[in-house]
Parts: sequence; C-alpha cells; structure tokens
Amino acid sequence: MGVFHLARGYLALVLHAHLPYVRHPEHEHFLEERWFYEAVTETYIPLLQVFERLERDGVPFRLTVSLSPPLVSMFTDPLLQERYTKHLDRLIELSNREAERTRGTPFHDTALMYQHNFHAARRTWHDTYGRNLARGFRRFQDAGRLELTTCAATHGFLPLLMVNPEAVRAQVAVAVDLHRRHFGVAPRGIWLPECAYAPGVDQILNEFGIKFFFTDTHGVLYASHRPRYGVFAPLYCPSGVAVFGRDTESSRQVWSAKEGYPGDFDYREFYRDIGFDLDFGYIKPYIHPDGIRLHTGIKYYRITGTGDHKEPYVPARAVEKAAIHAANFMFNRQLQVDYLSGIMDRPPVIVAPYDAELFGHWWFEGPQWLEFLIRKMHYDQDTVELITPGDYLERFRCNQVAVPCASSWGNKGYNEVWLCRANDWIYRHLHLAAARMTGLADDYPSAGGLLRRALNQAARELLLAQSSDWAFIMNTGTMVDYAVRRTKKHLLNFLGLERQIREHRLEEGWLAWLEETNNIFPDLDYSCYRSSREKAARAG
Amino acid sequence: MTISLSLFLGAVLAAALLVIFLRPFRRPAGMAKTAGPAFNEEMAAELAVPPPPPAKKPAVPALELPAAYGLDRLVLLVRDPYWLYAYWEITATKQEEFDRTYGVSAWQATRPVLRVYDVTGIEFNGQNANSYIDININEQADNWHIPAGRPNRSFCLDLGRRFPDGRFVTLLRSNLVTTPRDDLSECLDEQWMWIEGLYRTYRPQYGISSPLILEEMGAGAGVLPLGISSPGWRGADQDIN
Repeated sequence: MGVFHLARGYLALVLHAHLPYVRHPEHEHFLEERWFYEAVTETYIPLLQVFERLERDGVPFRLTVSLSPPLVSMFTDPLLQERYTKHLDRLIELSNREAERTRGTPFHDTALMYQHNFHAARRTWHDTYGRNLARGFRRFQDAGRLELTTCAATHGFLPLLMVNPEAVRAQVAVAVDLHRRHFGVAPRGIWLPECAYAPGVDQILNEFGIKFFFTDTHGVLYASHRPRYGVFAPLYCPSGVAVFGRDTESSRQVWSAKEGYPGDFDYREFYRDIGFDLDFGYIKPYIHPDGIRLHTGIKYYRITGTGDHKEPYVPARAVEKAAIHAANFMFNRQLQVDYLSGIMDRPPVIVAPYDAELFGHWWFEGPQWLEFLIRKMHYDQDTVELITPGDYLERFRCNQVAVPCASSWGNKGYNEVWLCRANDWIYRHLHLAAARMTGLADDYPSAGGLLRRALNQAARELLLAQSSDWAFIMNTGTMVDYAVRRTKKHLLNFLGLERQIREHRLEEGWLAWLEETNNIFPDLDYSCYRSSREKAARAG
Repeated sequence: MTISLSLFLGAVLAAALLVIFLRPFRRPAGMAKTAGPAFNEEMAAELAVPPPPPAKKPAVPALELPAAYGLDRLVLLVRDPYWLYAYWEITATKQEEFDRTYGVSAWQATRPVLRVYDVTGIEFNGQNANSYIDININEQADNWHIPAGRPNRSFCLDLGRRFPDGRFVTLLRSNLVTTPRDDLSECLDEQWMWIEGLYRTYRPQYGISSPLILEEMGAGAGVLPLGISSPGWRGADQDIN
C-alpha cells in the first residue's frame, strides 16, 4: 500500500457495550431499568468524555466499540431518555446535599468529585448529545476515532440458536439494519454475543457483508488447522470472514480482580454505597419508592484491603494509580510486541476486548486508565500502534485459512454457562418458537396492515426472548425471577400472536399494547425469518 | 332461562373479580394480555368456577409455558467438548403407533433408552456408526445431559425403547452435532513452518470475562449481566436489609 509504518506491532482495544432491553413503561420505578441509568452515568458518558478530551487535545486514537442493538435502542428511546433525565436530576440533587453534609469530613473531596461528575454528565447528556448517546458514538466514528461494530439483535447466544439457522440469520439481519440506520454505514465487524461461535455462524455473517468477528483465545488457537501466528494475527474462516482471537495476557491484567488492576487497594470500593450506608430517613427520597435500598452510585471508600475494614477514598491517589497502571499496561504490551515481532514475519496484533461496563461502573477509574493509556501510547513510545480489526484487514489482506473452534468467553470456555441445569429448559421453547416464526414468514409472504404488524411484533417477542442475558442471569442465581419472567413473557406473547395469526382473529388492542410496550426495532421486517428454501423458490 | 341467567350473573361476578384481581398488579396489562387468548376461548369454564378473591395483595401471577407442543422431536445440543444436551417430546400419537406396531402393551413392556452414536467422518444411515453407547433413562425424563466424553467428534442420538429381550426400537432421531476441540489441532499446514515460540506464554485460561471477575469480586452478591453488577438491586419479593 506504500504506507510506512513505524510501529512494530498493534493493539486492538475493543469495548463491548451491551445491556439487555430493560424498558418498562408499565411502571415508573422499575428496578431493572436502573441497569441502564447506572451504566449511562458511570460508563457511557465517562467514555464519551474521554474521547472528547483526547480530541480537544489533539491526541489521535483508534478504538473499536461494539454497541449492541438493545443498547442503541435504549439510547434512542424517548421514554428512557426522559426517565434518565429525571434520574440524573435526582442524583445531582443528592450530590449537592452530600457536598454539604460531608463538609469537614474525610469524604468531602470525594463528595465534590461526584457533584462535579454528575453536573458534567448533565452537560454531556443534554448539551453535547441532546439526550441521545448514540449520536456521541457516531460523532467519533465519523471523526475516524472509533470503529463501531454491531452485535446480534438481542444478544442471542448464537451457537445454541443454530438449530434454526433462520433465527441466527434474523439476529444478524436485524442488527445490521439497525446499525446502518443509526450510524450511517453498515458494520464491518460484529461482536458475537458472549464471544460465542460455532462453525456455520460465519457463513451467515458473510451473507450480511460482515468482515470480522472475535472469539476467545482458544476459538482461534484450537482452530481446525493450527494457526501459524497463534492469536497474534487473524484467521480467515473458509467463508472469508476473519476471526480475531483474544490475547490472554492483556485480558488478565485488566479483567482479573485479584491479579489485575481493578482490585488495587487505592481504587474505589464498589460495595460501600450510601444507598445502603446512610440513615434511611435521609436517603429514602433517592432509593426505590418502596423503600428498597439500592446503589445510588455515590461511594466513599477505597478497596483498602481484603478485609471488611474500609478507609475513605482519596481521588488524587486513585488517579495516580490509574496513571501507573496505564504505564504498566503499555510497558507490557511493548515487551509483548518486542518479543513477538522478533519471531513473526509480520507485525503482531494484540486483541484486548473488554465489557465496556467494566470501565466506570465496576472499575470506577477505568475510563481514566484508558485515557492515560491512549495519551502515553501517543507521546511516550512508537513500538505499539492502536488499530481496529477493520484497519488491520485492510493492511494485511492475506491470512491463514482455518475453521475456528466452537467456543465462548464464558466460564470454562464453551456453552455451559448458557446451557446448564439452571437454564436448559428454555431451549425447547426458543427453538419451537423460532421454527414457528419461520413457518409464519413462509406462509404469509407479503402481509399488509394489521397482519403485517402482528407478524413483526411476533418477531420482536421472539428476539427479546432470545437474549443471552436471561440464561446468564438464571445461571448466576440472583435476579433469577426477572430473567425467567422475561423469557416466559416474551415466549407467551409470541405464542399468543402466532395463534391469533393462524386463527385469523387478531386483537388489535392487545397488539397495539405489545407494540407500545416491547417497542424494540420499529423498522423490523418479519420476512427476514423466511426459510432459505422459500427465499430460493421466490428468487427462482 | 335459569341457566342462562346464572351464567350471566356468573359472568358479571367473574368480570368484577377479574378487575379486583388485576388491579393491584404492577404489570396488569402485560399479564392479562399474555393470557388473552385463553380468556376468549375458555369463557364458559372460567365463568362456572369464578376464582376465589385474593386474600391480600397477590404475588405476580405465574406464567406457564406449554408443557408440550404436540410435536415429535429430539434435539441435540453441544455443551462443551465432553458434554451434550438433548431434549425431546413424544406425542400420544407416537406412543399409540408404537403399541399398534409392537403389540398392545409394548410400551409398558419396554424401557426408554438414549443411544448415542459416534458418527465422526461418516454419512450416518442408522447402521454404520463408529460406535454407540446406551443410556437408560426414566419414563418421565424429557431432557438429558449426556457425557459424550470425546472432543472434536460428531454425534447423533436416538431415543428409543428396549424390549426385555434386548431389542432396540428407535422412536426419534436427533440432528447431528460436533463437539469442539479442547487442544491444539494436529493439522499443520504443509507449506508453513511451525513457530513454537508463539505459544510460549499460553496456558488455558478460560472465561476471563464477566463470569470470572464477578466470581472474584462479587463473592456471591447480586450480579447483573455482563459486568454490570449491583448487589443492592433486589426484587420486591426479597428480603430488604
């Protein structure tokens, strides 16, 4: 290509941002909606602010951010925008009161930090992005700073849905369509939910023009043919779609609470929140109206040590640690690249994917760490260059061919987290519903009016039932009731709609109510469920 | 006349109870609508026995998925390199058909068996499996976790009945699946040289992701999907500290 590259290796940082679709118009204070609010305040806004500061200071960077379709749908939903606005206002009010209350205590600096952060969040939310954070991510995509990838429509666990290839095809089709509508271009890459791959999935990705996806380390290492460069170069599946494998070393440094950075004793302690610690009468207006204590996001302690004793958080010390850890991470990547480039005949690419919500929500200092890392990489070295997988593939078009190994990034590396005794019962229903959805799409090929609406809503209910989040939560053993109810409710909605369609007795009132309540994917076209056989017949 | 009058009164009563029953729910519309089709169809039966009024604020109503779909099927899934999972449904029709073919009490006289065929590298026709193992299961089972025990092999499953004389009759046959590898492939591309050093630092380290960090940090506290975790968010039906 004639481009001169100084760097001897590449680092592909990938942030996968996802939350299940938790929008509940039926109730003003729905606990699970707070997942979204907390992640907005603690993760998505802080990340966008990092990008803004880097841009302002003229520090170039290149990151990959995967935005799941449910998350994009929540970013752009007027009801959730309205509710988050109120939520943030209450949080600001609380932080104002806290700034007063803590005066003269060791917590005062931290209280001022929260007050400042939340006010800044309000400016970002209202003034910079007009309450729609999807605009923020698009802005940095258009500026050439982010490569945005999509994810399956509702984060379905694709290997376990492959019993009905049409269901996987629809998960991809709906995601790609939504991504294009919100970000103006088709995604080059996809984050497979839970990094879960099985042979055959790549062929469906290829149908939608997707060029690359990610697997866990062993997805690439255990490929059908031993990969010459390990996980430090992508493979091509026989379908032509590239796969990038996760680097173990860089993952562990960030992910592991014990060995990794987030467990440092100077960092903020997640579990000591004033929602639990403060006097009930004082905190009552800021927790759930039913008096259920919950995380407000204001936490005054640092991890301190392994025991229960906790010392006050000192923001300045934590910032210093984030800088030290960024330098350490960079140093280790330089060593890695130095070593690898000595034994490889092309520059290695280190793929370091993380759940975006780790940054800020779990690891409060994570966004600061990321900012330090990017600045240091720009100013202090030229061994490692930030790259996205799409860019890498443009520079290195020739890659080894092999079939990746079926795998996931969940506990034990395969499908067990999502297929165990706690959740195995869901698959008989999910598979049956998927088969029936394809039956409907085949039998009603060009429906209009009310029938079309019912078919589209049936597809939405099926998609929502397929979220891998429900199976995951059932496995973790907490909030199980919510996950079970969501699974059953969407399945029952689907079965009810299917029956009404088959029996030609659609209830418009109910349909309208479902459309209003489970309003994800307004542009969905149910014909994406048509079977390949039917499609071929129609094309011929 | 009397019957229709009492039916009418019953209808009024049931409707009133329904209103009372649904009002305190947080999510009345969703629940009611979910059950929508059933209400329409089973009106008469519902009216004859109106539900007793709830004593106090009721729990959220249970959602019940169909126990069966009237479809004979046996579906095989891969869990990991060593385990498979299967679920199935056998309709009454299938059962009757079995009795018609093999004698009136054939079903009673036989025992259910899962036959797990290793069909790696072959075009399976029911007879030519590389090997198979039988797993005796109980009559009530409609799913099973199967220790296939072999990575990178292909499997197919029969659900059948075994006669006292050992004869096995297939009722349902599953789809074919292949277990994943759990080690490096022995297939090295001929033209390429193997670079040992690349693997120097690799030790299998599965699941360094949300599940792991949550285990480490969470100590069993409440966990939200994908790294979002918050032990304080509890359902209203759980204890409050």
